[in-house]
Amino acid sequence: MWLQVRLSEVCLFLQAMFTLACCFSDMESGPIATSGSVQPNGDRFKIEGRAIVPGVKTQDWISSARVTVEGEEYIGFLRTDGSFVVNDVPSGSYVVEVISPGYKFEAVRVDITSKGKMRARLVNFIKTSEVIRQPYPLQLRSSGPHTYFMKRETWGWTDFLMNPMVMMMVLPLLIIVLLPKVVNTNDPEMRKEMEQSMNMLNPNPELPDVSEFMTKLFSGSKSSSSKAGQDEGNRMDEDEDEGTEVFTKRKLESNWDRYKESEKDGPSDDTPTQRGTDYHVLLESAGKEYMTCSFEMA
Amino acid sequence: MYKSTSLFVIFLSLFVVSEAVFEDQVGKFDWRQQYVGKTLFAHFDSHSQTSKKLFLATDKNIFASFNSRTGDLFWRHVDKAGPEGAIDILLLHGQDALMVVGDGRLLRSWDTNMGGLNWEAVLDTGSFQAACFVAIQDTVKHLAVLKNAAISLHYLTNGHQKWVENLPDRDTVQYQAVYSGGEEEIYVLGVVPNSHLTIIAYSLEDGEIIKQRSVEAPWLSSVESSCVVVGQGMLMCVDPGTLALYTLPIQSLDLEVSPGFQPVLVSSQPHPARSPISEFFLQLGPHHHVLLQLNGDGYTIAPLRDFQPAFLVSFATTGEKTVAAVMTPKNETVSVQKVNNSCFFFFFKNMSQSYLKSKCMCSYSVLLSDVFPPQLYVHAFLKKDDSVGYRVLVQTQDHALTFIQQPGTHTDTGTYTQTLERTHRHWNVHTDTGTYTQTLERTHRHWNVHTDTGTYTQTLERTHRHWNACKPKNTIPTVKHGGGSIMLWGCFAAGGTGLFGIDSKSGSILWKHYLENVQPNAVFKLIVQRTTAHFPHPPQCTLLIKDKDTGLASLHVFNPIFGRKSHIALPVLPRPILQSLLLPVIDQDYAKVLLLVDDQYKVTAFPSTKNVLQQLQEMASSIFFYLVRSDQGNLSGFRLRKDLSTERIWEVVLPTDVQKIVAVNGKRPNEHVHSQGRVMGDRSVLYKYLNPNLLAVVTESTDTHPERAFVGMFLVDGVTGRIIHEAVQRKARGPVHFVHSENWVVVSSSCCKATVVVVVEATVVVVVEATVVVVVEATVVVVVEATHHIYLYRNSKYFFLKVGLPSGAILSLPKMFLDPRRPEVVTEHSREENLIPYAPEMPIRTEWFINYNQTVLRVKGIYTAPSGLESTCLVVAYGLDIYQTRVYPSKQFDVLKDDYDYVLISSVLFALFFATMISKRLAQVKLLNRAWR
Repeated sequence: MWLQVRLSEVCLFLQAMFTLACCFSDMESGPIATSGSVQPNGDRFKIEGRAIVPGVKTQDWISSARVTVEGEEYIGFLRTDGSFVVNDVPSGSYVVEVISPGYKFEAVRVDITSKGKMRARLVNFIKTSEVIRQPYPLQLRSSGPHTYFMKRETWGWTDFLMNPMVMMMVLPLLIIVLLPKVVNTNDPEMRKEMEQSMNMLNPNPELPDVSEFMTKLFSGSKSSSSKAGQDEGNRMDEDEDEGTEVFTKRKLESNWDRYKESEKDGPSDDTPTQRGTDYHVLLESAGKEYMTCSFEMA
Repeated sequence: MYKSTSLFVIFLSLFVVSEAVFEDQVGKFDWRQQYVGKTLFAHFDSHSQTSKKLFLATDKNIFASFNSRTGDLFWRHVDKAGPEGAIDILLLHGQDALMVVGDGRLLRSWDTNMGGLNWEAVLDTGSFQAACFVAIQDTVKHLAVLKNAAISLHYLTNGHQKWVENLPDRDTVQYQAVYSGGEEEIYVLGVVPNSHLTIIAYSLEDGEIIKQRSVEAPWLSSVESSCVVVGQGMLMCVDPGTLALYTLPIQSLDLEVSPGFQPVLVSSQPHPARSPISEFFLQLGPHHHVLLQLNGDGYTIAPLRDFQPAFLVSFATTGEKTVAAVMTPKNETVSVQKVNNSCFFFFFKNMSQSYLKSKCMCSYSVLLSDVFPPQLYVHAFLKKDDSVGYRVLVQTQDHALTFIQQPGTHTDTGTYTQTLERTHRHWNVHTDTGTYTQTLERTHRHWNVHTDTGTYTQTLERTHRHWNACKPKNTIPTVKHGGGSIMLWGCFAAGGTGLFGIDSKSGSILWKHYLENVQPNAVFKLIVQRTTAHFPHPPQCTLLIKDKDTGLASLHVFNPIFGRKSHIALPVLPRPILQSLLLPVIDQDYAKVLLLVDDQYKVTAFPSTKNVLQQLQEMASSIFFYLVRSDQGNLSGFRLRKDLSTERIWEVVLPTDVQKIVAVNGKRPNEHVHSQGRVMGDRSVLYKYLNPNLLAVVTESTDTHPERAFVGMFLVDGVTGRIIHEAVQRKARGPVHFVHSENWVVVSSSCCKATVVVVVEATVVVVVEATVVVVVEATVVVVVEATHHIYLYRNSKYFFLKVGLPSGAILSLPKMFLDPRRPEVVTEHSREENLIPYAPEMPIRTEWFINYNQTVLRVKGIYTAPSGLESTCLVVAYGLDIYQTRVYPSKQFDVLKDDYDYVLISSVLFALFFATMISKRLAQVKLLNRAWR
């Protein structure tokens, strides 16, 4: 097949040569013949190429497709193998397009010199002189079917679940319902850990509660002393707070002197006072832990 | 930078209210009718018996394949319009269709099975005369093409030339026919009018002249029209002068030819390898045919049968059997409808034993007024029982094709009428002149408009206004096709043929009205004078037909719903009409007043009752109109006087040696401006220049050199004649398409190897109190594809431009992209104004094609009309095809979406209902249990 096409081209070429030899007036434009695209009637040329739609049989699309050169200035039709020839085109610069209602093709600009040299390049409507070479004879490969249609919004479970509003509602619910079940709150260790993590979560433990602040604001300095007495553990923190501007109104009285007296009493007594349970008893109660340790040793 | 902006534009365009079609909406709101034009050549696919294919070549340069059973189009190939793509001849051989295109420019071979091209060959220059197949020993291998100066022989397999020979004495002899009878010779027939006939025999092998003979034939002027080859290579000619039939030995017959009629011979050559059959028809009068037979000796002719009246005759051959088909009127009844019952007589002729048998095979009725059928194509085929079956294709004068199949010996009229209806879908609505011209609607409130005397255009616009006007609601109870609220009616004025009422819902023709005595080059204007809103009065449309040569006009007034002609007294129009305008003034019957301006600038009113004339006198001083004379480059404005004469008040002359006026466009009279200005980013308001009388004049340079050509645009005030703005696009040339609305004009032309769209917007800036300055801003956007036609449509909020592309797509382009205020650098203000940054290139997305793959080729116009629903617009694009659809520019906000999920909503409702019932019951139980505890 290919050979046949080649042969026929050679035939045409020879024929072209023959006619050229016949009419001497055309002899000066001799080198045209090198491109092989000269036609018998004067300086009219032909644009050749091939259009391919990957994965689709040619008979399914060629009957509705056509090749237009510069709008509808020149029209060519596709052969049964997808190749095309647009005959009778004078020299110039043309946009060659394969128009098919089903498949997308890129347009190509083809320049034909007055001597019949052909050049194909990418179409650029803004910089018309820009040259990005394309193969000639044209090889036009479809980039797939046209997308004419919008997609309908379909209702799917994933869409519903991935909706941010739904996620915002569902996730906290999960946390509230599931977390207490997963985590054993009776375990003291765990509780400790949780407390710690809660502390971690609270970014600035020093910051007082808003409600607390409000009550302080309204009750004024009167209640400040009694308040200070209530939370001894935070006393040191409170001291620091005193330095900040916000809490200047609060006056704290130290009640350390109560302890000073008792501590002074303590060391004077020689007999050791028992505070808390016996160490051995404690050890026995934590026997399990001890055992695991010994296991590891062995 | 440019790349990134264009990317940005694409990105942005995703969020713009874009309208695209959903896949499930295909064919729901839209329809397309594909046409091919007037049939020039038709062939049945005789390759296989069961084949349903039918091949047509038409005057629109289209080669098409139809399903002969249903009339559906398999494929069609649309060549370039004009003489360059004209089909000279179509020959069918097996699966290949051979076609000579463009007056002998190209020779094409098509694979009819796939619809693709086998090969295309360039022929030598010279005007085409004739072509025929050449066969050797029963196989057809070559095609002979006769041109006025040469004959060439081509191989059928690849189109290559076998030989080409110059014809002798080609200056004096007109070569007109080529004939091959299966021998090794090709005969070329040439004639020197009224002198002699030249017959040259060429050798098939090398093109050598074997014989050359000259026959005295002083009576012969044309071989083509009066000679056929009959029997064993006998040339049969008919001489209208002496009423004699000439075989080469001349013989005279006693037949009578109707006076003034050129007798025509019809013969048939069933196979190129064999000689033509010896029977032939001689047409003696318009409705008179005689079947003749050339006897075996080749000298005597015997008349076989006389047919009078007979409309059409044709031959068909299958295998050994030849059929002559004659179409005769059966019982012509000249009633109101002029129904003509035609009948086909088929004559069998067996090659072995010659016998004649005639019976009326089938009959079908046609309207005689429209149909004088000019062409008949018959295809005969052998059935399994060796009887002959027929398929008949009748082309009527309105270019409709009717396909009639004869299924068995029974004639079933029911199926025939069905096929008739089906094939009538191929009504070629606009065939003759092909002048569906673009509409330039030019009426305005206070001034009238004018079309230049040369370009009266037929108006689809009016039609469509009337489409929505003629909504069949309760007011028209007899409308059969009633249905949805958006069902509308349309009229298409067709060149020379008639007027059609088309159902906009399905595209079927509801009524048609043939206009007699209309010149093929006449121009039309459809005017809706009264809509359906005034119940006791029927709606009224007026068709203004103007002869292009004489300028004389006539009016046709009809009811657009039923197509009935109304019996209103029409004004006498003795003088050529220059201009027409529809005023918003109504008479006591609620018909709008139509003013017609003749060439003496006298105005005729229609209807011209006393009431109307009184109203006209009152408002005469505020009625202005303009006239354009493109041949003189003259644009002038007139004012109406009280006595219905006119006075010229201004004139603009554009020198015709530099530029010519291409088009003038005012604004649509029914245009409704929704906002007077536009709020800018800095909270100031930019007021639009909303002059209702503004005309946009587009000119093209007479110099067509690409470097010096230009397209000019003027904005002229229609009342005062003041030129408000002028702009020139250099290096641009036509075809120019433009849209004028509100305060902007969009002009599309081709420039510098690309299509360029120029947008001009006029705004008003008040400089000092009472000094108004019109500021015009312009921008240029390069559109990737060439535009064919632009039309504007809008809903309340958004403007959209409808652009027809050469690929057949109809693009819906948001006006936002054509905003002259698109900034190069995005600023805070421009972002607040929703301005897209400027990009020189306009990307075209296939999602914007409102007609998806339903391409409309050779778009001549696009028309849009608002519908009864606020969200919906109707769009009609016409050209070679007609495409109608609905568009929802800002989604369907006033109707439920067409994919509305009724199942989901109702199931949810039911589920909720049952859930409340169950929970109520459960709560009761719980309360009871608590009470027990």
